[in-house]
Amino acid sequence: MDLDRDKLGELYGKVGVGNQTSLGIMGSNRDISVGEIFMIYSDRDGHERVFFFRVLGLENYLRQVDDMSRVASTLMVEGDAYLSGIERNMLLSVGGRMLGYAEKDKKGEWTFKAPRRMPDHLASVYRPMHGTSDESVRDMLECQTDGEIFVGDLQVGEDTLDVPIRIPCKFLPMHVGIFGSTGSGKSNLMMVLIKSMIDTNLDAIRNPNKNSTRISAFCIDPHDEFAKGVDKHGIQHIIEDMSSTTRSNVIGDFYYLTTHRSATTREIGRYAREIRILWSEIRPRDLYSIMEFSPQMSSFIEAQYAASNDDWISTIINMEDSKDDAQGTLKAVKRRLRFLERSPLFIEKGSSILADIYYAMETGRVLVVNTSLMSDQEQFLLTTIITRTLSDMRRALKSSGNLGDFERQAEMRLPRSFFSKVKDKARAFYSKGGMKDDAEVRDPKSLPVIQITVEEAPSILNPELMRGQSVFKDISRQGRKFNIGLLVVSQQVSVLDNVILSQMNTEINLRLGNEREIKACIDNASVNISGFEGEFRVMARGEAIVTASYRELPLPVRIPLFDDIYEKDKQRYKDARPKKTEEHIM
Amino acid sequence: MLEKILAEKFRKTLKLVFSDISNQQDRRDEQEFVKDEVRIREKLLTSIDTYPSDVVLDDDFLVAAVDGSGTESLVTLDDIRVHLLSTSTIVLTSNTHSDSLFSPIDRATLEKEVGEQPHVDAHWHSGVRNDAREKMAESLAEIYPLKDIISIILPFFRDYTDGKITSISDFAGSEFAPYTERLREMRSLISRTQVLTNTTVHEELRKVSEYAAVRHLLESDLCPKYMLLDGAMSIFMHFVRHYPSMPSGFMLRDLCSLARQKNVILCAVSKNHTIPFAHRIANVAKDQLGEGAKWFCHLPSKDDPGGGLHIIEERAYIPPMLAVPYLFSFSRDNRPSRIDFDRVWWLKNVFVAGDPKSTRENEKALFREIEFMSRDARWYGYPVALALAHESCKLSFEDLRIAKEIVRDVRHELGFDDRKTDSYRADYNL
Repeated sequence: MDLDRDKLGELYGKVGVGNQTSLGIMGSNRDISVGEIFMIYSDRDGHERVFFFRVLGLENYLRQVDDMSRVASTLMVEGDAYLSGIERNMLLSVGGRMLGYAEKDKKGEWTFKAPRRMPDHLASVYRPMHGTSDESVRDMLECQTDGEIFVGDLQVGEDTLDVPIRIPCKFLPMHVGIFGSTGSGKSNLMMVLIKSMIDTNLDAIRNPNKNSTRISAFCIDPHDEFAKGVDKHGIQHIIEDMSSTTRSNVIGDFYYLTTHRSATTREIGRYAREIRILWSEIRPRDLYSIMEFSPQMSSFIEAQYAASNDDWISTIINMEDSKDDAQGTLKAVKRRLRFLERSPLFIEKGSSILADIYYAMETGRVLVVNTSLMSDQEQFLLTTIITRTLSDMRRALKSSGNLGDFERQAEMRLPRSFFSKVKDKARAFYSKGGMKDDAEVRDPKSLPVIQITVEEAPSILNPELMRGQSVFKDISRQGRKFNIGLLVVSQQVSVLDNVILSQMNTEINLRLGNEREIKACIDNASVNISGFEGEFRVMARGEAIVTASYRELPLPVRIPLFDDIYEKDKQRYKDARPKKTEEHIM
Repeated sequence: MLEKILAEKFRKTLKLVFSDISNQQDRRDEQEFVKDEVRIREKLLTSIDTYPSDVVLDDDFLVAAVDGSGTESLVTLDDIRVHLLSTSTIVLTSNTHSDSLFSPIDRATLEKEVGEQPHVDAHWHSGVRNDAREKMAESLAEIYPLKDIISIILPFFRDYTDGKITSISDFAGSEFAPYTERLREMRSLISRTQVLTNTTVHEELRKVSEYAAVRHLLESDLCPKYMLLDGAMSIFMHFVRHYPSMPSGFMLRDLCSLARQKNVILCAVSKNHTIPFAHRIANVAKDQLGEGAKWFCHLPSKDDPGGGLHIIEERAYIPPMLAVPYLFSFSRDNRPSRIDFDRVWWLKNVFVAGDPKSTRENEKALFREIEFMSRDARWYGYPVALALAHESCKLSFEDLRIAKEIVRDVRHELGFDDRKTDSYRADYNL
């Protein structure tokens, strides 16, 4: 057998009882915590396997003592009692879940399987140790941990191994959920994800031959802390570390969007743009996605949209109240649109940022959107417009064979004023070669993956709004076709609509607030994590369980502090020439 | 059967039995006890001045214990039975200089001195007349480390005759002269041939296995202060020949003799004692010494000052021959237990002729240490070394089941016929 068992970690105990899903281990009296992962070496019938086991419960066990309470009470009552040689007999009875097992396939590569076998009788149990087990665990779990977007390191109890957990880019369009209560570490996680996306794009720029996927992200920052950072460092520091060339390649002219640029620090302000969206760029559906409209109101809006097209909002707002409006439909619609008039973001006339956002998203850039000064409605409408615009553009692309088709499709789907502005660049983005109408278009899957954050998700991804014509309903079901995914951030799982939950394929489950949310989170997880209730209850800030439908193993993760990984990686942002090798054709 | 047990008739039967005991035995014992009560209260019973739990002894000491277990029917092959025997030797150090009182000595050191622990062995015997004795003698000779039969038997005669017989030539002219030849072979030391039932054979094999373990320890360099055995120091005698009817009786005296030479206090502790009216003695102790007092009570023989107790006058093996029994209790929650010491050692080391006060002081010093070694919270009031030995050697039903499976495997490996090896009753699902 070729597995070096010493590299699995410290020999901890022996498998006692159990079945293919849960096991009881008798181990030495060590300081074990719930959530630790053990590895069980098994060689049953000549099949060398390493089973992964997660501790869910602990019990002190004294050999030769059937009644612990009696011993404890004797020690209490008989003050002179002792326990002879008890150290040797003090064991820990460890119960937990079998997570699956790793074994080598015929090619000699590690594969990971869901639990469907048992380790051998009295198999040895190893406790992974940082510095000893990292490499072997990394190898065995490669198929469960690889990807581009770094989330954190594999957590084994209260310690971590040097086993980075990543999410593959190709699964981002199948939507990611981040669930955690206040103080669970969501902001730090978002910053870690943003950094990882920037790193991925940087690698793609520096290694153009690898044809790596670029990632675009529209990241809502509700507390305006991503750019500046929560503690010492933020995304701004990464941007500042870059040379101007690298910076230009990675973020273009800007990465930070805000409602009031003047309120931004000078450093961040250099890479900031003000968010302004023209009324003409808003479609009725955008509003249906964020607030409820009665059928009468929808009919009225649709009629106005059909008549006035891009000017539908101005038309409605400028309409005089009519005596015919017996049911008050116009008044009600006006009332709902009133916030657009008051909003500094949504403007009737002027210069819009939407086209720049579209360009950024189609060129693999990460945008940090400060929504701290926006109302909820403004934030939700902004997210909706961006999502709908990007998805309509890619939907048009997906439905087209060439650029001519695309243009026709896009004109039908998007506000004319907006499309006319972005048409030329869109044709350039989507063409496989040439700019003529008959030029073949690219598959959306070859374009950057777009990840759109939906913050405070229950406000717009709730069953009531998702019943109607929500943009998010379509994206959640069809986003993968267009390479657009949602990054749903929520304190609650239980109130999210089932459509989005059922389409979500990656969940980063942080500490949750109450039993109901824990249960909802376990029910919603893409792999079976039943029995993990106890662990959710003891999770610390920054600890998470990552579940994904494309992985068999629920991965406990410790998300590092942004400051720490920034300090570690800051040198990588210095300039480095892209090395594109030339292809020599003889 | 359950319907019978649950019926009123069964209750009536039990009532009759217990009334009968009360009317006959208890009444008689009560009458006898009344004669002894004052003596017990005033002279034989006393409390123990216990060591404080943080005591640091000038000289820490070792306590050893041996216990054995087994089954007479590991496998039954027609009229042949294979016995499984296990023994365990435990050695603890009082260790008052550290926090860990009565901790086991290093396992490697122990095993170097007395062999692998616990020890497992198997022996067989058949029911064919004479073969049983032959085979048993063979097994006993193999088990017991002292191979010279004369050396095995002499300590008994030396102690029994108070030193009159110290060599084989001393038998001449003694009451044992007619049996001299019988005393030269292990086979003829087994004089209870009529009762060589499986159980008796097994008991003898097991007892000798334990004694063998004790001898190994006494021969070792470990030098414990105490050597504890599980049980009593009773020796079953041949009624006519006046010497032990089984080799184990001789071996026990051999151990006593060796222990004395090595300055080891050999004693046997029995939870299942047969001391009549022990509960009444316990009540006297409670009245006299207080509810939670730790106490002991000497059970004198007819040779001791004041003679034997009336309550044990008619009991054949109390006190055991050449032994001194005590009743003791170190825990208010448990019934009293019994401890036997070698009488020869006791007379030399505990008893002071004509000085009951000194005798009592010696006894108190002895029990002070025995109580100190009996405070483990798992078996409070019972010597921890013995408890650990018991835990280590005991064969659970599960152990036996696996052992029986291994028997089948081994027979299969050896190519023997696939005769069923489990109990006959299993064939009929009984």
